[in-house]
Amino acid sequence: MVGPYEGVTVMDTTGLTGAYATRLFAGLGAEVIHLEPPQGSALRRLTPFVESVDPPENSLWWNYLAMGTRSVVIDPEDTESLERLISQADVVFEDQLPEHSGIPAEIIGSSTIRTRILPFGLTGPKRGWKSSNLVAWAGSGILYTTGFVDRPPVAPAAPVQLACHAAGASALVGTLLALRSRRLSGVVQNVEISMQEAALTIAPETGVPMLLDDRVHRERTGNRRDLGRPFGLYPCSDGFVSIIVLMPRHWVAMAQWVAEVTGNESITEPVFEENAVRIEAKDLIDEWVEELTRQGTRLELFQEGQRRGIPITPVNTVDALVDDPHLEAADYWSSTELHDGQTVTVPGAPFRTNSQWWSTSRAPFLGEHTELYVN
Amino acid sequence: MAHFGADVIKIESRTSPDVVRLLGSAWLKDQEDLAPIASDTSPYVSEMNASKRSVGLELKTEQGKAAAMQILAECDVFLANFGARALADLGFDYASVKAVKPDIVYVQLPGFGSDPNMPYYPFVAWGPNQAPLVGMDDFTGHSDDPPAGIATVAPPDYMSALHAAIATLTGLEQRDLTGEGVHVDISQFETTLALLGPFVMDYDLTGTVPSRMGNRSMWGAPQGVYPCFGIENWIAISATDDEDWDALRGLAGNAIDDVFDDATRRIEQQDLLDEQIASWTIKYQVDDLVDRLQTLGVAAHAVSSNEDLLHDTHVMSRGWYQVAASKRLGRDVFSNCLVRLDQTPGRWTHAGPSMGQHTREVLQSYAGLSDAQIDELIDVEAAFESIAPDMVTTRPWDDWIHIFIPGVDDARDL
Repeated sequence: MVGPYEGVTVMDTTGLTGAYATRLFAGLGAEVIHLEPPQGSALRRLTPFVESVDPPENSLWWNYLAMGTRSVVIDPEDTESLERLISQADVVFEDQLPEHSGIPAEIIGSSTIRTRILPFGLTGPKRGWKSSNLVAWAGSGILYTTGFVDRPPVAPAAPVQLACHAAGASALVGTLLALRSRRLSGVVQNVEISMQEAALTIAPETGVPMLLDDRVHRERTGNRRDLGRPFGLYPCSDGFVSIIVLMPRHWVAMAQWVAEVTGNESITEPVFEENAVRIEAKDLIDEWVEELTRQGTRLELFQEGQRRGIPITPVNTVDALVDDPHLEAADYWSSTELHDGQTVTVPGAPFRTNSQWWSTSRAPFLGEHTELYVN
Repeated sequence: MAHFGADVIKIESRTSPDVVRLLGSAWLKDQEDLAPIASDTSPYVSEMNASKRSVGLELKTEQGKAAAMQILAECDVFLANFGARALADLGFDYASVKAVKPDIVYVQLPGFGSDPNMPYYPFVAWGPNQAPLVGMDDFTGHSDDPPAGIATVAPPDYMSALHAAIATLTGLEQRDLTGEGVHVDISQFETTLALLGPFVMDYDLTGTVPSRMGNRSMWGAPQGVYPCFGIENWIAISATDDEDWDALRGLAGNAIDDVFDDATRRIEQQDLLDEQIASWTIKYQVDDLVDRLQTLGVAAHAVSSNEDLLHDTHVMSRGWYQVAASKRLGRDVFSNCLVRLDQTPGRWTHAGPSMGQHTREVLQSYAGLSDAQIDELIDVEAAFESIAPDMVTTRPWDDWIHIFIPGVDDARDL
């Protein structure tokens, strides 16, 4: 691939926790090789599947996250081929503790960076524990505070596997730092990411330093948050909108809007300009704001609220996103090809640059590049 | 980046402060004498800005802007999260910065990109309502409930920041190797959406609009949060493959109906399965059950509250919570950096800075200004220094933090 990391060779032996990292790496020009066992990567077994395609090429997770990469199948007994491949690698991504790794230390080259994404890290009493997206959130304090107070706690956007992707993106940051230190000072080093800490990193708003400071036990607050008012999800005629008012100017615009539409003059009283007062009077503020939001649709409120300079967004679903006018105008969507030749829409580059950085291609078939590298 | 040795200079404004400066601290409300330093006391300051330097410059003034440009001329990277229009109006768009520093690595993170011709360009965006926009709030909650939303945290902020770190490091490589700088435009909208690939594809192929499914897995059952003995004690369990199931079943015995030994039944009748698991887990102390499951190789963890994390020997043994010196607070606590490098592990030079704490030293060393020139900038309110620099206080935990965080001194011995 052409791109800033052209010439960097990366071996990926991970599953869901490393896949987002190597997807980005490949998009930025690295030569990423998925080292797959004969039955294929664990990613290939993740639903949803494409109906018209047979396994192991039918997983949409594989077809998305492995874009731009290569697939080499190595028999676990074939240590010679493994050694030859690993010796060419600048970086090896792994998701196993050293004692469980299929890659012994002695075949790792002296200039190879090992990046490990582990459930609870390399050290500490839980180093051998298993994890999952849900378990990572459980260990972060975030799961405990997400959801309605009368219902069990619930993970943020569970199907998206955010904790895995946060771990993966962080692993790439660490890997790029390690590559930089190797180039600038010749120091070759290893990178360690704990999935639990990837989730903890997202926790400051509800985390331990906050608790130490205010000693307020944090409960689940449903779909609103007591950091400001209005703050969270508000019902409208066709679903919900999200409103986040913290800044003074946002409140002034919000109060004005409510007053104009509902005739409520009390809301514009100066006393409510103080965030702390609004939080104290949150039920009243919420009631007044809902009198406004219930009158409009998601899209109407989004556009009118934004016109007034208020941070308001629709609570979207995938169908609305694919039809979103901004993304269409920005030419965001891209496509990829599946095993049977049909093309399918995928998200485009994660960021834009004024020089050519991002390029990608369809995910590889199982063992598609074995011959190229092994024989 | 500050943790790994970069000199990160945060430009701050008094007329339009960073939101974390507005939040203050809970205990400060009753102490009017400390009101002038409220902006330095939010715990977010150290959480977000440890090891960074703070420079007070009003970019809306001509002199403030000129001083910022003088600093930028000596910098490698410019990072901005202003709205794209605000940044352009201030005169800090890519072309303007490039004019003073031709090989700058310029990374901006506006909510909706920096192309003024795009429909949402002028829209205001915050991490907390980017999540609903890209479908994450609809994905959060139990299937029969209204969306629970991601009320407490803002994952898109962090995901965009990680992409910004990736882009910054990549930009520095490009600059070192080719001499060319780069303009990176990170639209939070687009970046966060890049995490939804499989769902976009499925919708395109089949018209399926996926929605929230509680804590369940798309890939097997059981997975969920179940009650344990006591009040608000919950366990998270992922036992989605056959091996996990055999282990869990061995532990639960007859508490779970043997029809569930069939994987298909586990998926088809999850309500009933979850009910049976819940009536089994509730008899256990949560930590005991987690230990038993993990010993058998099943992914499980207590649903930890902050209080639990404060007593968590694993988290503490890994030094996740750090304490470092703070000019205003003596010392402050904040979360560590999750990226761990084994040869150059990084360090924390100080906790979050006071607003404007480093104005003078940075203007001297980077912009080459004299004390008299800096005084003049301050006089015309184009720059500012730390308010009441000698006013100090301590956080409520100062006397007892050493009990919780390993390696911290007892304040009474200091």
